[in-house]
Amino acid sequence: MSNFSVGFRSGSSVEVLDLNGELDAHTASELEAAIQKCRDEQKHRIVINGANLQYISSAGLGVFMAYIEELRDSGGDIKIAALQPKVFNVFDLLGFPMLFDIVDTEKEAIEKFGVTQADD
Amino acid sequence: MPVHTYLQNVERLGSLVTRSRFGRVVLLLMAVASFVIGFVYHTLAMQRGAESPVLFEVTQNISVLLGFFALWLLFAKRFNSRQSSPARIFWTVLVFGILFILAASLTTSIFRGDDPELIDIFQAESEFNNGIPRVLTTIIRSSLLSIIGVFFSLYALFRIRELVLFKRTKTSQRNWNFLMAAMAVFSLTFFMKSPQDESLNVLQSIALLPAVGLMVINSLRASWIVYFNFKQKLISISLSLVVLFCLLISLGMTSLPAPSPYLSDMFVYMRFYNYVLYMFILLTVCFGILYCTASLLLLLFHLPTTGDFQRREHERAVMHALTDLVNQAFDSEKLYSKIASSPVEAGSAVSAWLAVADVQSGSLRPNLVASYNIDSGYVDRVVDSTALYDEASSVGSSVLIGDALTDHRLDVRAGDGFGSLLAVPLITRDEVLGVLFVTKDVTHGFEQDDIDSIQIYAAQAAIAMDNARLFEEQLEKERLTRELDIAREVQRKLLPQSLPSLHGVTLAASNVSAERVGGDYYDFLQLDEDRLSIIIGDVSGKGASAAFYMAEMQGIFQSTSRLAPRPIEFLKHANAALSGSLEKNVFISVIYGLLDLKKEEFIIGRAGHCPAATINLNGEAKYLRPSGIGLGLDRGALFDKALQEERISLQPGDVFVLYTDGIIESRNSEGEEYGYERLLNALQSYRYEDATGIHEALLNDLNSFLGQEIYDDDMTLVVIKWHGIHLSTPSPKSQKSVTLSVPVEPTS
Repeated sequence: MSNFSVGFRSGSSVEVLDLNGELDAHTASELEAAIQKCRDEQKHRIVINGANLQYISSAGLGVFMAYIEELRDSGGDIKIAALQPKVFNVFDLLGFPMLFDIVDTEKEAIEKFGVTQADD
Repeated sequence: MPVHTYLQNVERLGSLVTRSRFGRVVLLLMAVASFVIGFVYHTLAMQRGAESPVLFEVTQNISVLLGFFALWLLFAKRFNSRQSSPARIFWTVLVFGILFILAASLTTSIFRGDDPELIDIFQAESEFNNGIPRVLTTIIRSSLLSIIGVFFSLYALFRIRELVLFKRTKTSQRNWNFLMAAMAVFSLTFFMKSPQDESLNVLQSIALLPAVGLMVINSLRASWIVYFNFKQKLISISLSLVVLFCLLISLGMTSLPAPSPYLSDMFVYMRFYNYVLYMFILLTVCFGILYCTASLLLLLFHLPTTGDFQRREHERAVMHALTDLVNQAFDSEKLYSKIASSPVEAGSAVSAWLAVADVQSGSLRPNLVASYNIDSGYVDRVVDSTALYDEASSVGSSVLIGDALTDHRLDVRAGDGFGSLLAVPLITRDEVLGVLFVTKDVTHGFEQDDIDSIQIYAAQAAIAMDNARLFEEQLEKERLTRELDIAREVQRKLLPQSLPSLHGVTLAASNVSAERVGGDYYDFLQLDEDRLSIIIGDVSGKGASAAFYMAEMQGIFQSTSRLAPRPIEFLKHANAALSGSLEKNVFISVIYGLLDLKKEEFIIGRAGHCPAATINLNGEAKYLRPSGIGLGLDRGALFDKALQEERISLQPGDVFVLYTDGIIESRNSEGEEYGYERLLNALQSYRYEDATGIHEALLNDLNSFLGQEIYDDDMTLVVIKWHGIHLSTPSPKSQKSVTLSVPVEPTS
């Protein structure tokens, strides 16, 4: 019944998660598992590609909140890219752009990590 | 096989006759009659001293055969339905063999007299003259021996049949029937043959071949032997040896002094009694000896492997017994430890542990949930369980590490008592529930049959785990249902039971929960005659925890709003208060508004919530969206920094609509969202109504868009209208509270 899935793509230093379908209270645990996996594998730099994300509910947004602190403490981050306008609006209403880097393309998101890397 | 079908039909016919008591009595009478006829026939021949007329001879021969056939049917009835253990059968056949030898020897040797000359006459051959008995004792002796022979051979045949057909197959059954037929055919070729002629003619030689061949084939069927334990095998071997020894002595074939050297005479007596019968008995005895010898040899060969076989049987039995137990255990913890301990207790492994993927916590790392005879901390240190787990579950079959010391996934040292490892996935309904790890202290300790038996065990364990999981899920579901009922009751009480009344203002509000417990909240608080604070909120997530946070929000609203009525102040306080108690992944989006009728203004602050819709009398509609982050998303300065408020000077006819995302995101059957546009348009059309009318119209518009009243999210709608004139007495109709709490079955 779940119409949500997460795809993994490992870059050189960044893990890209492709979200597909609808992320709601029922499917949030899948994203949770995916981010936990990245964390357990010491991949703290995560780019969320939302190009195929059709819908997100507040429970789905909660997943990002659950891990962001920990990831940032270990030098990583979650950057969100390529959201569809309607989905972006949900992020935007809640003020997520103030809490996360939300950019138009995956490339930009990865580059953002590059910048922080240079800053380090 | 027409021959075979024919044989089966004979068998069926026989069982038909013996089914009734009457049939059995008739058969018994037939047997007795044939015996009497035989006796009379031989007596007459002796008195006559010459060969009987052919007609007499034919009659006697047929009657003897009919009598034998009758006895055969009776034996078949007696033994076909019996179920005995192979050991019992084999032993009784051997004991009966000994008894047969004793009885036969006794019958041939008794009444022989002591006169050495007489002894010579009383040798069997010389007692007959041209096949005619000379004295009455000869007749008695030959009749008795024939009866003993018939009984023994029938008994032996039917008992050996059970052994041969132990774990029967179609082929073994057919081979046995063929043997019986071949023996009968061969015996019948001796019909009417003179007992003095011992040689075989061509036809008989040909008929003998299939009989011998089938005897050899059938005597090799002794699969019952492997199920014997060591003691049973020893007893069987000793008994067989005794029987063979007795046989040899009785036949005078050893140098030992024979207690009775006359056993070979027995067959002569039988031959003169009736050649066909004699041949059948002879064949049976030969087959019995052959079977006994073959079994003896097989027993001897299997003797050394008995221990291994018994151990394997024991393992299997223990595994089986434990699986039964496992099927009844519904407590996961107990079940896990049982699954881990069973292989070790059965002796299939030295230590074992069980890892399951913890889906609930969202982690993809397997959890070590039970271990037996090994420390789980040690396992975590030396075994890369994750890698092995992933391999076993992706391949869907066992992963074997023959030499633990050389494998990169194991970090063990010699002397750790860790030689080889086997990882078996527990799979049911195409789903990997866990992986069972078993180890042995020697390298290459798992043979293929060990692996097979553990895999079978794993399959059963998987079913048990699946059962336990379903059971727990059911329990959890029931527990949750009860919990949600309580939460729903709490939530219902948290929502305002009545609406406040202010001069010049009409209010309407409603709430519908998609599930038992929603995360939506709205409330009003009348601060004084002219001031009203309003809140609408949406707790992320659903269920009991959402209801709990909602209760907290309500507490904060009711207390803080009085002290800090301005939106910025209130929301900052609320964020600070909630930060300490909200889970990391939980946040609350709210709009807080302060309506001040004296100053004729409405100030709103938005913490991540959907923008408020507003419209004036002229039909200018817009969304109010001051900046602000959801409560609990940022617990420090950023929240405060982002927060702004919007102040609206009230004009008569101004309408404010507060709602939750359930309204905007509601989708019709085509998957189309209601959306922000439609809300404003509807508002435009009904802006002249009072709050209740607008509220009702908006809900109607939404429902007609959806086409059906099925909600997949919580929906809350609050409408506030400023009429501009102080209505002396607010009409009860316009103050109607539409607090609904209708649980609709979730559509997802």
